[in-house]
Amino acid sequence: MSTLILVREKLHINKENALGYILLIPSIVIFAVFTFWPLFYTVYLSFFDWNMISPSKEFVGLRNYFDVLTDPRTYQILGNTFLYIVLLLVINCVVPYIFAFVIDVVLTRLKGFYKSAMFLPAFISLVVGSILFTWILNPVSGPLAIIFGWVGLEIPNWTKTEGWIIVVLSIITSWKVFGYNFILLYASINGISREIIENARMDNIPLWRIFLQIILPMSSATGIYVFIITIVQSLQYVFTPVKVVSQGGPDYASSNLIYHAYHEAFVVFRTGHSATISIITMALFLLLLFLEFKFVERRIYYEN
Amino acid sequence: MKINRTAEVTWHIIFFAAVILLIFPIVYALGMSFKPLEDAYNNVLNIVPFQSTLENYITLFDTLPVLRITLNTFVIATVATIFKVVTAFLAAYAFVYFDFRGKNILYFVLISTIFIPFTVTMIPNYLIVSEMGLLDTVWGVILPQLADAVGIFLIRQSMKNIPLSLIEVARLDNTGHWKIMKDIVLPLVRPAVTSIGIWFFISTWNEFVWPVLIMKTTDNYTLPLALQMFISVEGGTNFTVAMAVSVVTMIVPLALYLTFQKYIIGTFTSSGIK
Repeated sequence: MSTLILVREKLHINKENALGYILLIPSIVIFAVFTFWPLFYTVYLSFFDWNMISPSKEFVGLRNYFDVLTDPRTYQILGNTFLYIVLLLVINCVVPYIFAFVIDVVLTRLKGFYKSAMFLPAFISLVVGSILFTWILNPVSGPLAIIFGWVGLEIPNWTKTEGWIIVVLSIITSWKVFGYNFILLYASINGISREIIENARMDNIPLWRIFLQIILPMSSATGIYVFIITIVQSLQYVFTPVKVVSQGGPDYASSNLIYHAYHEAFVVFRTGHSATISIITMALFLLLLFLEFKFVERRIYYEN
Repeated sequence: MKINRTAEVTWHIIFFAAVILLIFPIVYALGMSFKPLEDAYNNVLNIVPFQSTLENYITLFDTLPVLRITLNTFVIATVATIFKVVTAFLAAYAFVYFDFRGKNILYFVLISTIFIPFTVTMIPNYLIVSEMGLLDTVWGVILPQLADAVGIFLIRQSMKNIPLSLIEVARLDNTGHWKIMKDIVLPLVRPAVTSIGIWFFISTWNEFVWPVLIMKTTDNYTLPLALQMFISVEGGTNFTVAMAVSVVTMIVPLALYLTFQKYIIGTFTSSGIK
């Protein structure tokens, strides 16, 4: 008798579990076909020489990796990527952190207004942002150039200037990314107990110390998350202004690893190089996540 | 305790400047789209279209199948959103209310796909779409975009906020999972699911990278692709028309945001990342 119940229970649990798997089937199928198989296929392609059209692929072993890693252009693009990361982190991680803190903790008025206004561009196409900023920042006849002209300043010819092009494309990307990160950080800071903050302020602890010693550690889970998505996702968002405004130019000065992989695959049709660059990019992202888990994750504070 | 008045005013000035930086381009596009080209060039700083005209919109509708393009954008965004929300809801339900072998690993693997750069899957996905004969079609744009784990993550997050006892009581009453899903869980996570749905809809509406690879003919373009045709660093002869396309591209996301902003910000603030 008891064994029967046991068996039944077991069957019941199995049936239950089966339903769990069934609910996951749509997601698993989608991810298997459009993420995991492609991932392996890209690894495979990185060992072949191919142009996406020819019926045959030539196995070249590690030559693509050798080519890519010895090409000085790769290091130029890696440098660009790094510059993008630094700029994006300052504009979309550091600044919104401080903004979220001040708006939530310090200010008493207009909080709701700032929140909705700053979040708004997150809902607009980055192509719209690219086209608008290209015009607003036009160095000859754009509105900003005219205002600058009044005080004798000039806007550099950024589309043709190494360095400036990355600065402007980062600003365009940030226009879209800023508000999203701001809202996430605001939410996290808003979740911190008011009591702790009020006590600190009662003790006349200066705001910058409240920020560094209370807010920063207590919102660190979200902070780290925003830090990582800024690197991983903003870098991909940069693709749109690069493609629309500069096509990676002048002479690769605005290309990053993401755009370069696209350029190799769909502009010059070197799928092997493209796949290799993508795999290297992913390896760098994984390294970042690994470092985060190893050195930061254990020390951060989870709000929930 | 209060902060001093000067500090508060300074902060407000900084935030106003930031808001202007963020909002100005949108207002600017709106104003310019109603200006004759000559006026736009001669009075660059004047946003208000005093000699307002619809000629830019007329030119736009004459040169491009705008309705068709808007419809493409709408269909892609709607279908992708429905698929993504439904599959994410089911997956999140499985992850929260079932125990099965390999659950945690599977969850971890799915969520880590958020951190895979799109270029890693770009070439094979292009080949898959091409093999399926879906190049230059709506489905070719939709299918690869469905693989997005953000929905699973966010919906699971809000399901975990439901007290487990509620589900346990229902289970003891022998209520089936479909009924629990439909009558208990869904109503409770509906605000989050709606906000995530709106977010998906707008992201797909604005998506540029993938449609630009798949869509070849103007008739099949989505709005961001149509807009790209008008871009030129010098401003170009079609500058005011480009502003009109920008407005057409922005109008739906903007309307959705203005209608649901409280709701959306609420969801992001309560079930965000923890």
